[in-house]
Amino acid sequence: MRPGLWTGLVGGLAVVLLAIGTPAGAYHTRFQSTCTSGYFNDNPVTRAEARNYAYVAAAEGYQWGGGCWNDNNWDDSPGDPTEDPYTNGEGPDCSGLTFKSWWERSETGDPWFRYHSAMQNTHGPYTAADFKYGTGAPNVTVAKANTVYMDAFASTYHVGMIYWANTAFNQDRIIEAKCEACGSGTWPRTYRGNPDYSGARRLYWAG
Amino acid sequence: MKKTWRWPLAGFLLGGLLGATILTVNVVGASGPNAPPARVASFGEILHTPPLLVRVGKAVNLSFGVVCGIVGDNPGGRCTPRGAVLVRAAGEAGFRKLPLEPEPGGLLSAVVPASKASRGFDYYASIENGRGQSSMLPEAGSAAPQHVWPLETWTTVDVGAPRFGEFRPPSSVVAHFGWGRGDGAIGLDSGREQSRIGPSAFDVAPDGSIVVLDQVNHRLVRLRSGRKPAHLPIDFAGGEGDLAVGGDGTIYVLEISGQPLLRSFSPAGASISAGPLAEPVADMVRAGPSGPVVHAYPSEMWLPTGEGRPPLTATEQLRAAQPARSADGGLGVVVHASAAEVDLALVREDRVLRAWILRGPASFGEVQLAEPYGDGLVVVVRLWDERDAEFRVLHLVPGGVASSFTVAPGEWAEAASLSRFRLHGDTLYQLRSGRSGAAIATYEIGGKR
Repeated sequence: MRPGLWTGLVGGLAVVLLAIGTPAGAYHTRFQSTCTSGYFNDNPVTRAEARNYAYVAAAEGYQWGGGCWNDNNWDDSPGDPTEDPYTNGEGPDCSGLTFKSWWERSETGDPWFRYHSAMQNTHGPYTAADFKYGTGAPNVTVAKANTVYMDAFASTYHVGMIYWANTAFNQDRIIEAKCEACGSGTWPRTYRGNPDYSGARRLYWAG
Repeated sequence: MKKTWRWPLAGFLLGGLLGATILTVNVVGASGPNAPPARVASFGEILHTPPLLVRVGKAVNLSFGVVCGIVGDNPGGRCTPRGAVLVRAAGEAGFRKLPLEPEPGGLLSAVVPASKASRGFDYYASIENGRGQSSMLPEAGSAAPQHVWPLETWTTVDVGAPRFGEFRPPSSVVAHFGWGRGDGAIGLDSGREQSRIGPSAFDVAPDGSIVVLDQVNHRLVRLRSGRKPAHLPIDFAGGEGDLAVGGDGTIYVLEISGQPLLRSFSPAGASISAGPLAEPVADMVRAGPSGPVVHAYPSEMWLPTGEGRPPLTATEQLRAAQPARSADGGLGVVVHASAAEVDLALVREDRVLRAWILRGPASFGEVQLAEPYGDGLVVVVRLWDERDAEFRVLHLVPGGVASSFTVAPGEWAEAASLSRFRLHGDTLYQLRSGRSGAAIATYEIGGKR
């Protein structure tokens, strides 16, 4: 072998694997590299339109701090490490799904509507606790007994919206981003009667 | 000079190229661990709560919601659903069409007149969404329709005011686990902006042992009196599920995340079969007299998945769907609850054998359990207000309530929504949780608190 060739080859291999391979391996799906930035202000918006919007997220992934998803009914980035926004996976988290499904704006003092493309990578400024306490101009609290579809039940750690109220066993089907292993979906839940949860509402629906 | 750097540089470039090739093959390959299914334009979903139990002499309102989804970032491309509900009164041969009329709030509804409803009826909806797509609910249409039973007589039970905080202590605590991964622990999936998810479900096997679904740790935990917990590793892909143990000891595990899937395992934990459910959402699996049945949505029917291997196909499940949960002795258990009242019945085919209507000053929550017991039922139902909650346990007999008591919710961590309780013999078991861990508590049925 030519003198120095072997040393150079090992060096080049090491540099590439260490410089590129380490981060690539850690964030392997890179789903968010396909996200877009599409949004527009809109008015009026109905609860039914909001439910149609949220439905697209059902059966997609969950990403802590995330905000973009497609509509192939498949978690494109399963098994990411939890509580790490830099895993760049598919899906919203619970508060991000609520923010986008309620067509809210990032300006917390502005209560009006903004359509965010499902593939727009935005989470919004609110946590689950913010929804629980009615933080932000568009958001208020409401008695759980008075909630209707596309209102939400929020605790300090989770928020989900009412997809269909009052099943035969008297649960509510909730549309929510649940957990990394769960993804997002429309599951029957018992949040209404759970003292951890409060009723939350977005104002100004057109119907 | 040239001779000293030319070959190391060539080697460095070659090594870099080799590294890039390795990363391309491995990382890009890893980015698609499973190919997603081909995208197909879907109808969306018909939403409906079946009335199931209706007082004789009353007309029945059937309401349906329709969710279409948003296509191509065009929120203005609204769906304009229309359709009909097809109704067959008891004793009639064919279905008659009732057009669905739009209601405020986007619902579609039709009224079945009292004269048609008085002997009970079958029905299914057929809806087109205005985008050229149509669907039926239940999906098998006339082959397995939804059913409404007429209530001619029933026993009204006033459950009284809630007793928040005045809970009956358990008769025993069979097992307690701290949170974690070890032999004495059970899994907790929690974090910021996320539900706290503990063990999803449990059941009591015919031999009295308890099987807990520790899905966070991908295992079953079998508890036998006087022995250390035995751990049985299982395949479990999702975050939550349900579990039932059959009369022969077969363990059925329902995965509810993503497309629901029912797996079965031998009592020793060996995999027997796995098959997808015919509907997109499910919350309960129960062991029926003819094998496992799964409560599925949007139909709210009980889908048998079959005892055999392989399990029933999706079409077979839909065509065998039942509106009542099958119980021993040819009985069916029917539940329809709202905040104002809980309607319960034991039925045999189209006939109501016994019925109860629960009322009270507090709001009712979900019906956690309704199991045949003697000539009545044992029922566990949530009572709640905006700040508190309790579970009320009721032993219903033909004349009313034989006994009742109140149980603490113990729901610090989430379990499957309707799998916190199981009845085995005269003992009620509860899966409860707190900051320190999860436990299985027992209560003996009988006697007033």
